[in-house]
Amino acid sequence: MQTTTPQLAETIGALGLGAADTGAALEVATGPAWAMLIPMLPLLGAAIMGVCAIMGVRSKLPAWITVGLLGFSAVLAAAMYAWLPENGRAVSVAWEWINVSWGDEPGQTLKANFGFYIDSLTCLWMLFVTLLATLIALYASEYMSHDLGAGYCRFFAAFNLFVFSMACLVMGDNLLLLFLGWEGVGLCSYLLIGYHYKKHSAVFAAKKAFIVNRIGDLGLLLGVFLTFVHFGTLEYKDLFPMVQPYIEAMRQGAVGDIPAVVQLIPVLLMIGAFGKSAQLPLFVWLPDAMEGPTPVSALIHAATMVTAGVYLIARMYPLFLVSEWALPIVAWVGGLTALVAATIAMAQFDIKRIMAYSTVSQLGFMFCGLAFLSSVGGAFHVVTHAFFKATLFLCCGAVMHGFAGQLDLRKLSGVSFMKGWGIVGIAMFIGCLNLAGFPFTAGYFSKDMILAEAFITPGPGYQFLGVILLLTAGITAYYTFRVFFRVFVGPKQFEPGDELHGHDGHIDDHHEEHGSASRATEADEGHTPGDHEPMGGSVEERGKKTHEHPEHFHPHAPGWAINGVLATLAILSVLAAALYFFPGADKSHKGWAGGMISGSSAALVVGGEADHPTRLAAFVGAEPEQGTLFGQDPHKIMYYVSGVIGFVGIAIAFALHYAGRKESERSAANNLLQVKPIRTAHRWANAKWYVDELYDFALRKPLWAASQIFHLIDKLLIDGLVNLVGYLPRALGKGVRPSQSGVLHSYAAAMAGGLAVILLIVLLLSL
Amino acid sequence: MSESILHVLILLPIATAAFIVARPAGEAKTVALWGSLISLVLGVVAAFQFDWSNAGAMQPEVSLVPWLPALGLSISVGADGVSMMLVLLTLLLGPICVAASFSSIKHRVKTYYAWLTVLQAAMVGVFVARDILLFYVCFEFTLIPMFVLISIYGSSNRKAAATKFFLYTFTGSILALAGLIYVIWFNATRMPVEAFAGAGEWSFQIDTLRQAAVRMSPTEQGWVFAAMLLGFAVKVPLFPVHTWLPLAHTEAPTAGSVILAGVLLKLGTYGLYRFAIPFTPIAAVDFAPFIGLLAVIGIVFAGLICWVQDDVKKLVAYSSVSHLGFCVLGLFALNTMGQSGSVMYMINHGLSTGALFLLIGMVYERYHTRSMRELGGLAAKMPVWSFFMVFFVMASAGLPGLNGFISEFMCLMGTFQASDTLAGSSIGATPGVLGPVFAILAGTGVVIGAMYLLMMTGKMVWGPLREPKGHDHHNHSELADDLNAREIAVLTPLAVLCLVLGLFPTPVLKGIEAPVNDTVRWVQEHGGLRLYRDPAPARVTELSPAGVVTPELAAPAAGGER
Amino acid sequence: MVSTFASMADFLAPAQASFPEGVGSVTLAHYLFVSVAMFTMGLIGFLTRRNLIIMFLCTEMMFQAAGIALIAFSRFYLHHTGQSFVIFVLTVAAAEAALALALVVLLFRGRESLNADQWHSLKG
Repeated sequence: MQTTTPQLAETIGALGLGAADTGAALEVATGPAWAMLIPMLPLLGAAIMGVCAIMGVRSKLPAWITVGLLGFSAVLAAAMYAWLPENGRAVSVAWEWINVSWGDEPGQTLKANFGFYIDSLTCLWMLFVTLLATLIALYASEYMSHDLGAGYCRFFAAFNLFVFSMACLVMGDNLLLLFLGWEGVGLCSYLLIGYHYKKHSAVFAAKKAFIVNRIGDLGLLLGVFLTFVHFGTLEYKDLFPMVQPYIEAMRQGAVGDIPAVVQLIPVLLMIGAFGKSAQLPLFVWLPDAMEGPTPVSALIHAATMVTAGVYLIARMYPLFLVSEWALPIVAWVGGLTALVAATIAMAQFDIKRIMAYSTVSQLGFMFCGLAFLSSVGGAFHVVTHAFFKATLFLCCGAVMHGFAGQLDLRKLSGVSFMKGWGIVGIAMFIGCLNLAGFPFTAGYFSKDMILAEAFITPGPGYQFLGVILLLTAGITAYYTFRVFFRVFVGPKQFEPGDELHGHDGHIDDHHEEHGSASRATEADEGHTPGDHEPMGGSVEERGKKTHEHPEHFHPHAPGWAINGVLATLAILSVLAAALYFFPGADKSHKGWAGGMISGSSAALVVGGEADHPTRLAAFVGAEPEQGTLFGQDPHKIMYYVSGVIGFVGIAIAFALHYAGRKESERSAANNLLQVKPIRTAHRWANAKWYVDELYDFALRKPLWAASQIFHLIDKLLIDGLVNLVGYLPRALGKGVRPSQSGVLHSYAAAMAGGLAVILLIVLLLSL
Repeated sequence: MSESILHVLILLPIATAAFIVARPAGEAKTVALWGSLISLVLGVVAAFQFDWSNAGAMQPEVSLVPWLPALGLSISVGADGVSMMLVLLTLLLGPICVAASFSSIKHRVKTYYAWLTVLQAAMVGVFVARDILLFYVCFEFTLIPMFVLISIYGSSNRKAAATKFFLYTFTGSILALAGLIYVIWFNATRMPVEAFAGAGEWSFQIDTLRQAAVRMSPTEQGWVFAAMLLGFAVKVPLFPVHTWLPLAHTEAPTAGSVILAGVLLKLGTYGLYRFAIPFTPIAAVDFAPFIGLLAVIGIVFAGLICWVQDDVKKLVAYSSVSHLGFCVLGLFALNTMGQSGSVMYMINHGLSTGALFLLIGMVYERYHTRSMRELGGLAAKMPVWSFFMVFFVMASAGLPGLNGFISEFMCLMGTFQASDTLAGSSIGATPGVLGPVFAILAGTGVVIGAMYLLMMTGKMVWGPLREPKGHDHHNHSELADDLNAREIAVLTPLAVLCLVLGLFPTPVLKGIEAPVNDTVRWVQEHGGLRLYRDPAPARVTELSPAGVVTPELAAPAAGGER
Repeated sequence: MVSTFASMADFLAPAQASFPEGVGSVTLAHYLFVSVAMFTMGLIGFLTRRNLIIMFLCTEMMFQAAGIALIAFSRFYLHHTGQSFVIFVLTVAAAEAALALALVVLLFRGRESLNADQWHSLKG
């Protein structure tokens, strides 16, 4: 790293990089008041859900209110986008939140308003967050309909609260409000993962998610502390101009002039990002988070919340640029996470978990994009991924919904060809193509923007990282289509899960639950269908063991809400590719995402000057001037390379999981498992490389033991000492107790003797 | 704000108690409730009369009811912004505690409510006292009602718990008294009369004594500080003198726990804030790293102990030890951020932990157990209770948007800032002796806090329903499955305040900013903290040979904070 | 040993001076001797006898011994404090005597005995 970081500095210098949000004084307009409604409407929604719960609403009313409010939020987000002047930024302050002052000089007031920072980066995120939230709320209205009543209200209350928190995170005009959103989304994630609160596994997963996130949050909080201590402000509008001198220093290669404190800030911030975006070593919570209802998995754990880490780095990009170590660490963590998660995904059988690991993996790509100085690539991948991954999750959810919680890809086959499942199949196919990076899909373009940069951005081992990412892209294509070929095509065959909707009853009928409660105490390991709670649906369905009578089970095809949302999302996933060619606000940056990024803090240029050719080369036809790969435009090469790799991955999946498959359980891949090394590797990958076990062994157990020891120390040593102090006088009393004989004459003799002794002493002393 | 209203706030609960004793037992709870409600209303009136624009000054300006003029004894009351906030907290918890006891206290009702209201008078007295005598009398007097409440109305091991509580905190406060008396003696005998108003005479006024105390030599300050620290640290309680707390909390009746966590512990931190730190600033600066270390150990140690508790009330009790560690850490950051945060922490901890004790008490009334092995998954049966539980757990865990975060953040931020090393190069840093290392170590407490609180929530609220064997609540109590209207009414004000203080803390922050700034400035001037733009060490450490003359500061003291 | 007694003599020397304003040849030492003798007798009596009433009388004797010493010194220094104090002592002693005798009667009623060894309920 020692040798490479000057290169990085040079590059940044040579490219004329630097935040657009810099300059002596940042011009910040006053934002429109209605922009504040974007976060406030969901908050209002959460309050209304509370009222609904109190009033005992047992209809779909909460869902319609939610959809309406979120839809309005989405409209407002669009309006905000339309309102935004080119490269403009504005702040709308709702109220003063924290204000502590101990002097009038700069740095002597900590101010954090409930204020919302409006710039193109904010707009970019809010547009897809509100849009997806609206669509997924609509989907959930049907998906959660088995739980009408208090549970339904609880679900949508947390859902609304999530959108509020996410909006605070993205729109906050200071790091503290970002932190509020940051922890807020964590809370909602906790509440929603633990939605099926009677299931041990769900409760455990929720707790795990919150605590692992808290570790990351601590890093972020320390980063916030250091930011304030060094810069004396937490507000972006004051912060970014203060970073400008350091950017100048970086540009001139004078890395030594940048204080270590400043270089440390991004490292601390990224710990938070790694926690929230499930990167190594904090990724373990996300797969477990699939215990939550599928709409939640789609919205929170795939499309929006987990991209908060990417947002944080994009937002704080100027600070990351002035650190020697920050971006290389991000690159390596992202790259390794992408690979590790993809290998795990290859060996899982639970389709939702596969999607979860794929999310982890794709987030690694996004981090790499940011680290390779292609914040446009990172952000664009966030957008495309949000749409296609939401599509994929919602398709999985539809399957789960229809097949009584069945998620095992060995137990399902040919779903697309069943009656009423066409739309799901098509949507799934589109999502898979995107994820696999099939040429000319949105995922293909956005992934390429990242991959190519790996080979031309100077950095420690970035070329090697590029190879890793290419390999990961191939693996991604394989496991994506493994799911598709196993579940959605092939012979029609299925075995329903032993639950309905993965849910175990209503909150308010606890007669049933005593029975089911005891059953839920059985193994809570993983997410194998066996440990799902039998759900209190109709007596008829509960009465039979579905394993024995699959022929009585009729999968119920998704209704209009699910189908409609899936269709919309699939179309949006396809259309997202158009954003790549869409000129955007700023013509010099081509691509809509590029335009959005260029006007924000995540931009790599100052004042809209021409970007570096390699970055322009992200667009078809642009000729590179330097930074070539094999003497060619790296992006052009990458189109072919990644296209081929994608094909190979899909082809392998086809050969192993489709070709000649007669039943759901067995495919060509089973023969491969006869080979011992592959079987071993498969077992390890299936066990998630034993990372959970490692943490349990290396962290949780020792800490638990230490806690027990502390408890003993507290009880025996510390309290023992206190009791000893109390015991000493008592012991003393016991010692002198016999002197009190109760006999009058012994007292008298003692008195006389004492008198004599005193007299003697007086006498002797006076001599 | 008139002086009389403060007197009334002390006397009214005593009158209420007398009235309770005089009336039949059946009316006791009604009388107590009305008495505490009237007190609360009066407190709100006082808060409105209070001149918040001048919150740094004691109001009313002069207050002196002569008692034994020959000895210089008088009763003197007043409040600044910090006192006012704590008085309001005390008054708020009053009716809540009374109402929370309606169904749980069945025998010796008159005694119970009488002592509960008397306790309130003592607590208000502590916060509004402007002379050490009144402060100390009230400070010690809180022990008696609490002793009675624990030893009569507590659970099985109540006698031992009450005795330990009494003896432990009493021993501590005797030491604090010794320190305070030394300051009084020093002022009367060692101060030249012309030094400042009140010097050289037997005065008990806190303001006067503060002037005298800072003129003590560093050695004297060290001893006085150590004495006061011992007294107040037991009350806080700071590790390692905390062991009375889990016992007392576990055994105390619900309202007792609420008062104990809500207000009594704050007497310790308030004592540190009002006496230990401003009286002996040099010693406070010298001792700060040591106390910071104790606080950090307390945060982590007690937090981890919480994690392995089975008794949920004990868990919350240990969490108080952990939380108060943040509070003390903030105090000894010796800057505005830390100390404001600490004062906020006093208020917020009173609200959220008080509420947690109430919630646990409500479950205890229904199931007569607090063991998490026997109880669990109550969300299925008690959704309203579960909502409040999760809410207050989140407030306690410092979730942003709720009150706990504001104070936790400010305490940690204050600790982080308080670094002489950083103060040279970073504009947001303040002079101080703690710094990032303490903040990072204490920060792990945030993670540990999430661990044990969610462990508790996971067992108590979520999961399949578990009830004690053979439980049939209809046999035990007349209470409904879920919370009844009274219980909801008890919890709702706390919940609303948690939310309001989390989202709109500005009024409170501004209310305590001026007094805290004054204290901080005072400490930094007299404690020899390196002033930001003065590289030279700012204090003379040795007393002049005469031993009487005040050690003056070498640098002009007008630099203000930094 | 000799020197010890010699210095003791110095210690007692002022006592051997005669009273101011003359009370014949009787010196302070005479009074003190009587006082010491009475006190010693009282003490010995208190220690050796078992009868409660006798013991009580012995304490009275010690009281009076102290009174004599006080009066003697009072006269010697021509200061009224000692004498006034004796008046107080006498008064208190009278009250005390009444109380003590009442107690003795009570005790006697309980055990039909005046032997002091009968009672040791204060044993620790």
